Amino acid sequence: MPTVLAMSDFDLPTRSASGFLLRYIAPRVEPVQLFSMLVRRTPFRLSAPQSDIIIGVGHGDVDAFTGQNEAVILEVGRYDPREVSGKVIKLISCQAGVELGPDLIRNGALSFAGYKDDYVWICDADLASTPWADKIAATNLMPVVEGLNVLLDGRPAEEAFEIELGGYTRNAEAEEDELVKACLEFNRDNAVLLGNPEARISPRPGLALPFRILPPPPIFLPLKT
Amino acid sequence: MANAEWERLKEALRQAPTPEARKQAAEAMRRYLERQKAKGAKGSKPTLVNLSTKAKDYPNAVPLDKIPEELEKSPEFFELMGRIVKEK
Repeated sequence: MPTVLAMSDFDLPTRSASGFLLRYIAPRVEPVQLFSMLVRRTPFRLSAPQSDIIIGVGHGDVDAFTGQNEAVILEVGRYDPREVSGKVIKLISCQAGVELGPDLIRNGALSFAGYKDDYVWICDADLASTPWADKIAATNLMPVVEGLNVLLDGRPAEEAFEIELGGYTRNAEAEEDELVKACLEFNRDNAVLLGNPEARISPRPGLALPFRILPPPPIFLPLKT
Repeated sequence: MANAEWERLKEALRQAPTPEARKQAAEAMRRYLERQKAKGAKGSKPTLVNLSTKAKDYPNAVPLDKIPEELEKSPEFFELMGRIVKEK
C-alpha cells in the first residue's frame, strides 16, 4: 500500500523537519514520496486516495496544511473526502489540530495527529545540508520519528502518540537548556490525537541496510532566507 | 534548578505585550542568552524555528541572538514566547 510522505523543503524549518523524515522514515516506505517541489496540491490529490497513511511536513494554520512554498495542500472545506477517508494522518505543522484535524476526521480520516499551537524547536542553521546530523533539533524531532516508526510497524495510533509524548518528556527531563526544554514541553502539551485511537495501517518493513547505517547524501537545494 | 535569568524572562513574558513589557522581555532574554553562551555553545548557529504560515507577523526562523530584537518588534512573537515558557 503506498504511503503519502509529503516533505516540503524550502526554508530552514521545513528542511530541518523533512531531513529527519528523509533519514529515518523515507527508506521504510515505497519510493512514491512527495519531496520539495512535488509537495503541491495536484501530486497530493492524485496520490492520497491510493494510500492508507498521510505523513506531512509543512507550514500550517488552524484551517490549512501547506507544502512547498506554502502551496495549500489541505484546507477546511476545500478537498475531496476521498483524499483522507480511511487514512491515518500525521501532520508536522503548526496549529492544524485546531480546525483542520477535526475536519479531516469528519470527512472520514481514521485518525489525525497534529498540534494545536505552533510547532517550535531549535536547530543549527549551519547543518542545513545535513539536517539529520543536527543534535539540537534531534531532541524535538526524534520523538516524532519514533512515533511514526510505531505507526509504520502497524501498531495503533494511540501507541504511536504516546511514544512521541514520552520522547518529549524523556528529552525534557534530560535537557539542561531551559529554552530547549520549554520547546519540548510546549510541543508535547499541544499535541493532539483525534479519531479512532486504535486506527492502524498495514505494517511496513523495518529500516533496511544500508539505510540503517548510512545517512542520505547532503542536500544542496537552496533555501529561502 | 532553573536559573535566575530564566525566571526573570518568564516573569517578563507574563505581562501584556506593551512596548515597555517587550523591552523588558528583550533585556531578560539577552541576559539569559549571555549566560547560556558562557556555559558553552549549543551548535554553531542555533536558531528558533516554527512551522506557522506567513499569516503571522514573526519569521519562521529566528537566530537565538536575534530573539531579543524580535521580542521588541513583534507583539505576536512576544505572545508566542510567553506561551512557550509559561509555567508547566
